[in-house]
Amino acid sequence: MDWRIRRLGQSVFTVWAVMTLTFVLTRFMPGNPIDYFLVEVGPDLDDPAQAYEMAELYMNINPEDPLYIEYYDYMTAFMQGDLGRSMSMNMPVEEVLAIAIPWTLFVMSWAVFLGFTAGIAIGAVMAYWEGGKFDTALTGYATIITSIPFYVLALVLLTIFAYRLNWFPTGGRQPEGVEPGFNFLYLTGIVHHAMLPVFSMFVTSGMAALTMRGNSIRVLGSDYLRVARLRGLSDPTIAIHYVARNAILPMYTGLMIAIGSMFGGAVVLEEIFVYRGMGWYLIEAVRARDYPLMMGAFTVITIAVVIALLIADLTYGKIDPRAGGENREAF
Amino acid sequence: MKRSEDTNQFDGRTSDGLDSGGDLETKPDSVEDILRSDGGTVDSPFERTATVEETRRDRIDRKLKDYLWTPWSIMRNDWRAIVGVSILVVYLLIGTVGVYLIDPTHPTHGESLVGPFEDWSHPLGTDQSGQDILSMTVYSTVPILQMMGAGALFTIVLGTGFGLVSGYKGGMVDTVLSSITDVFINIPGLPLVIVLSVLLEPEHPALVGVLLAAAAWAGLARAIRSQVLTLRGEAFVEASRAMDVPTISLLRKEILPHLMPYIVVNLVNAARRIIFAAVALYFLGILPYSDANWGVMLESAYRAGAVYRPDAIHWLLVPMIAISGISIGLVLLGQSLDRVFNPRARARHERSDDGKGSEPESEPNTTNVTQM
Amino acid sequence: MTISESDASLVDSTGTDTIVELRDTSVSFGMDRGESRVLNEVNIDIERNEILGVIGESGSGKSMFASALLDAVPAPGTTTGDVIYHPEDGDPVDVTGLSKSELKQFRWEEISMVFQGAMSSFNPVRSVRTHFVETLSAHDYDVDAGIERAKDLLEDLYLEPERMLESYPHELSGGMKQRVLIALSLVLEPEMLVMDEPTAALDLLMQQSIISLLNEIQEKHDLTIVFITHDLPLVADLSDRLAVLYAFEFAEIGPADEILERPAHPYTRALLNATPNLSAPLEQMRPIEGESPDPVNIPPGCSYHPRCPLADEQCKSIDPGPYDAGDSRNHDVYCHHWEQSIDDLERAFTESNSDDSPATRNASHSDDAEPLVSLEDVEVQFGSENDGWLDFGESDVVTAVDGISFDIYENDVVVLVGESGCGKTTLGKTAVGLQRPTDGTIEYKDRDIWKGSSGSSTLEDEEIRRALQIVHQDPGSSLNSHQRVRSILSTPLNRWHPDLDGNDRRERILAMLEYVGISPPEDYIERYPHQLSGGEKQRVALIRAMLVNPDLILADEAVSALDVSLRVSIMDLMIELQDAFDTSFLSVSHDLSNARYLAEKTGGRIGVMYLGELVEIGSAEQIIQNPQHPYTQALRWATPELEQDDDPDENPIRTIDVPDQKNMPSGCRYHTRCPDARETCRTQKPELVDLSNEDGVQRTACFRVDDDHEYWDSEPITDDAVDGDEDDDHVNVSG
Repeated sequence: MDWRIRRLGQSVFTVWAVMTLTFVLTRFMPGNPIDYFLVEVGPDLDDPAQAYEMAELYMNINPEDPLYIEYYDYMTAFMQGDLGRSMSMNMPVEEVLAIAIPWTLFVMSWAVFLGFTAGIAIGAVMAYWEGGKFDTALTGYATIITSIPFYVLALVLLTIFAYRLNWFPTGGRQPEGVEPGFNFLYLTGIVHHAMLPVFSMFVTSGMAALTMRGNSIRVLGSDYLRVARLRGLSDPTIAIHYVARNAILPMYTGLMIAIGSMFGGAVVLEEIFVYRGMGWYLIEAVRARDYPLMMGAFTVITIAVVIALLIADLTYGKIDPRAGGENREAF
Repeated sequence: MKRSEDTNQFDGRTSDGLDSGGDLETKPDSVEDILRSDGGTVDSPFERTATVEETRRDRIDRKLKDYLWTPWSIMRNDWRAIVGVSILVVYLLIGTVGVYLIDPTHPTHGESLVGPFEDWSHPLGTDQSGQDILSMTVYSTVPILQMMGAGALFTIVLGTGFGLVSGYKGGMVDTVLSSITDVFINIPGLPLVIVLSVLLEPEHPALVGVLLAAAAWAGLARAIRSQVLTLRGEAFVEASRAMDVPTISLLRKEILPHLMPYIVVNLVNAARRIIFAAVALYFLGILPYSDANWGVMLESAYRAGAVYRPDAIHWLLVPMIAISGISIGLVLLGQSLDRVFNPRARARHERSDDGKGSEPESEPNTTNVTQM
Repeated sequence: MTISESDASLVDSTGTDTIVELRDTSVSFGMDRGESRVLNEVNIDIERNEILGVIGESGSGKSMFASALLDAVPAPGTTTGDVIYHPEDGDPVDVTGLSKSELKQFRWEEISMVFQGAMSSFNPVRSVRTHFVETLSAHDYDVDAGIERAKDLLEDLYLEPERMLESYPHELSGGMKQRVLIALSLVLEPEMLVMDEPTAALDLLMQQSIISLLNEIQEKHDLTIVFITHDLPLVADLSDRLAVLYAFEFAEIGPADEILERPAHPYTRALLNATPNLSAPLEQMRPIEGESPDPVNIPPGCSYHPRCPLADEQCKSIDPGPYDAGDSRNHDVYCHHWEQSIDDLERAFTESNSDDSPATRNASHSDDAEPLVSLEDVEVQFGSENDGWLDFGESDVVTAVDGISFDIYENDVVVLVGESGCGKTTLGKTAVGLQRPTDGTIEYKDRDIWKGSSGSSTLEDEEIRRALQIVHQDPGSSLNSHQRVRSILSTPLNRWHPDLDGNDRRERILAMLEYVGISPPEDYIERYPHQLSGGEKQRVALIRAMLVNPDLILADEAVSALDVSLRVSIMDLMIELQDAFDTSFLSVSHDLSNARYLAEKTGGRIGVMYLGELVEIGSAEQIIQNPQHPYTQALRWATPELEQDDDPDENPIRTIDVPDQKNMPSGCRYHTRCPDARETCRTQKPELVDLSNEDGVQRTACFRVDDDHEYWDSEPITDDAVDGDEDDDHVNVSG
């Protein structure tokens, strides 16, 4: 029981630490947004003092207040779901992001799911014929495919499948001219638009396959597998309940790390495919020097990762009876 | 039994030998005193001193053998190491010698969008503004290698430092350090780096590398910490502690060698990740730049529509190949490196010089497992 | 000698009823260095309903023998020759010729196997019940009936069936897992059970308990048991017949009592002499010289000839066939000179006896001597600190050592014995300043060793730090695998003899290596630990500690991981080094025979620990011959003897499993298992009472030593009162 509470506390602490970090960045880093308002925007205004009000409006920080009040205001505003106001979109940051989040989650979850499923399947097959032609070929292939950055692959895919072959749209997140809602055309359109970004993320399956291969080979050499064979268990039982399950469990941590890095990767992919998710807005905010949106997007992406990791960690106990407690490194 | 013959030499000793043991440090001038003997047992193995001097030459030979020849003889038997090292050496040559052989380029250096292998004054063609792509690629190698070196080194130093200290010290130090590590593990790397680069606007490649490392060190620190936690409980570490070996040399001699394979593999992986991230940031146009590099080339090609213009595709392909090439080199090197630190592999390759048989290589390649 | 009555009846009952016969069976692996034969044309008939003990040191091919019986040699290995199984009714089956599906049926239904590592024999993510169910359904057995049978089996093995079935493997202690594995191997009612070192990782008491359970199970289920072990005394009492493996071949096969009393093969004889035990005179125990051969390079002729005192030219060239030895029909020995061996070898030993052998010393201290290290009310707790921020959970405090006081004198030897988890290693580490006690003091020559130290791991006083050293249990991890012998041994010299230059250090190390019998030292100094044998590693570890010139060395299970034949030689070396260096040893062991050897030979003491407390301490003679505490008596019972005992004693403990350490029993902690426990024991805690007399020192913490104690008037505790709530749960703190 207690490790779960502890794990939750750890997540809360992380979110608090990230919020504090963004506050420090916003307030103190060279080139910070508050200075931006005071130095860049202020002099252009009719009343330079208005810069302070703007800062409070957009960033929830009034530079005139004592530091602890600034911090308190910033944090309480965040607690109430107020992330400030986007300067380029001229709407509350949280509203901008609320529209973007589902799209990113949609693409990311499919990419993670498909990547790991394929990786596990391929890795298992490689381990089964360890040292064979299939294994050697795929190990080489996986090594090369993981050597190529996913955005390079994305560009190649975009060139071939979208521009040359016209199989997929070159950008966007939903079909044009179709009414949004639960209708077939719209839904297939969404899937169609998500295909290339998902497939670009597929490269993670190369890494997953190599890991799965290594784990499976280790399990195949274990004592309990030998005993299971002697006990006469059927091959499917051994393959699924013995090899697969024990080989996949340690990959759970890898999956969690993948979630984190994929949210980072989303930034690049969404830019390439002009897919309007969180990453796309983050880059747009950077380009437009829209600090509130930039900080907001960063905070929300971080929280999403923290929650994903928390869920993954808490559910791990359901699949591995050994989980929970001090034996395992809480991730 | 040989041993039993020697026993008699010690029978004469009385317990005052024990007391004099306490004075060890006070009389370091005489070897005889150090050795806690009652005299007369000159042949005792406990006070034997050297009769044959090992020359400086011998010592240098031994070090050379340990640090150069053995690793080399292990690596030369592994095609991955040979290919990986060759690739990296080529990049290093390009970055050092290449810039003296190839002239820098400038807009309208040649005609716009010359294709590759068409005009031998521009072997890889030119971009839209007529800049020579080969020259741009060669000159970008320098900042990329600087970023890679600085970033990878910083990742390793920070990650190993945090992991070693928090794992070995334990207690309050550990609590604070691992909490910091946990926070950084939870923050997605690329967005953090984006935010930091927007605010800091780093220009120097080495600085960019260090900044990118901010997102990469935490995972390594966590892994090192848990390994150190295991290692510090090992018997040989405890024995060294009992001998009062100073903490620094204990960490260096007893613990670090066990982490070396892991650290080196991570160094190589970190280098790869730094390049990926750096190119991505330049591609997104987030990092400021004054000179071209592969990321900048990618970006301008993408902006100029190279993805749908057949005549500009080489502009996009060349930097892509450059990135993937160095990455493959690093991956191959990483896969082969951990064997260099494996005492079994070392012993085997030492003995193979003497013409003795070798053991079967049974250890599976574990490199891939640790990468995830 | 004549056939004893019991032996005669044995022959009658078994007759010629063979269950498995091996004919020229070999197991080989192809290696780069050549073909490696890990079982070399062995012949044996295993008889129905017998218990066959197979003895072999590590690397003698005993595991391969076990696998060959089920045609279950791991992948690259190949089995050749015949393995013929005779069902009770029906035609003989050639096991090696069975098809995959026939083999699947044959294994576990006819012959099943218990592996060495019970810890790793279970799928960690499946419950125990699932293991039973899947085994039953894979063989098309009725699952419900099978589970009922499993419950009976578990019950017979003193386990709570329901709780076991619902558990996951990691929730069980080692002893529980081992017993569950035995139940799992018997659930399909096989004819024969092959056990490969089934008790190697277990404590003495658990080991002996399982052995006595095996006897019952064998009778109840009409089983044939092949029990494979390196530990000769363990099976001596259990087995009907013994087979001794040496260098992948049988050296001797015969009735157990005959082999024990009149071993015909020189190796068997040497092995018997090398095995520490409680009853044989110390002078008889001596190591076997030399090492077992490499499987690739087995000596021609008799493979034992390089180590054999009787070897002649014939032995070097001609492989000895089986000779009928002794009086009984089925005693085979593979030695050309077996008759001579029986007659002459005893003498050979007696002669070499007079050579050296450090005489037994008397205790070198008297009661009024100044103690070297003195422990006063030492208490060590684990888990009290919350290990991280935001730890809301209850902290599970385990008291590993609870208020122990004793003194160690100069030139003294104290051996701590007890089951794993009793705190003996923790106490040892506390005594040498590697573990900071949570309460109490440790003084070295009247100085508090922790004085001035702030951390939990470093002693402030350099001299004290130097004086207290440690030699570890596992030779595998006691040396840094990344360092050569030279740098391993340079470490203490660098630290404590900084004036020596590299050449002097090298010379010193070479001399030390030679002194402990590692030669040629020039070759070994450049080796990595993995290139040393277990005994060599242990020697290097010993030298490393000695190079510091310590006053007290903690030897933590220093010989437990070694082969039986090496133990005596390493202990002799320890005793010799102790003499040479005037050090004291605090030794930790779970094995009473080893403890006896070390303590009795040096005139030292044995301390018996139970659940963090010292329950009895005294001279080796007193503890072994005249134990007063019921727990010491139980340990004494659990220590196997090298003789056949026709009338095995009742198991002197009421419950096999150790109580949960987080929930210590009240009063005398042993009352939950003690056969003599009474109500008083539940409430009152006995103190150590001095019982020293002219026979030796002895202090015991038990009410029974006091004739006037109220204990004698209180009610005996009956089993139903304590069972169920006390003997539960696994122990998760290791020694």
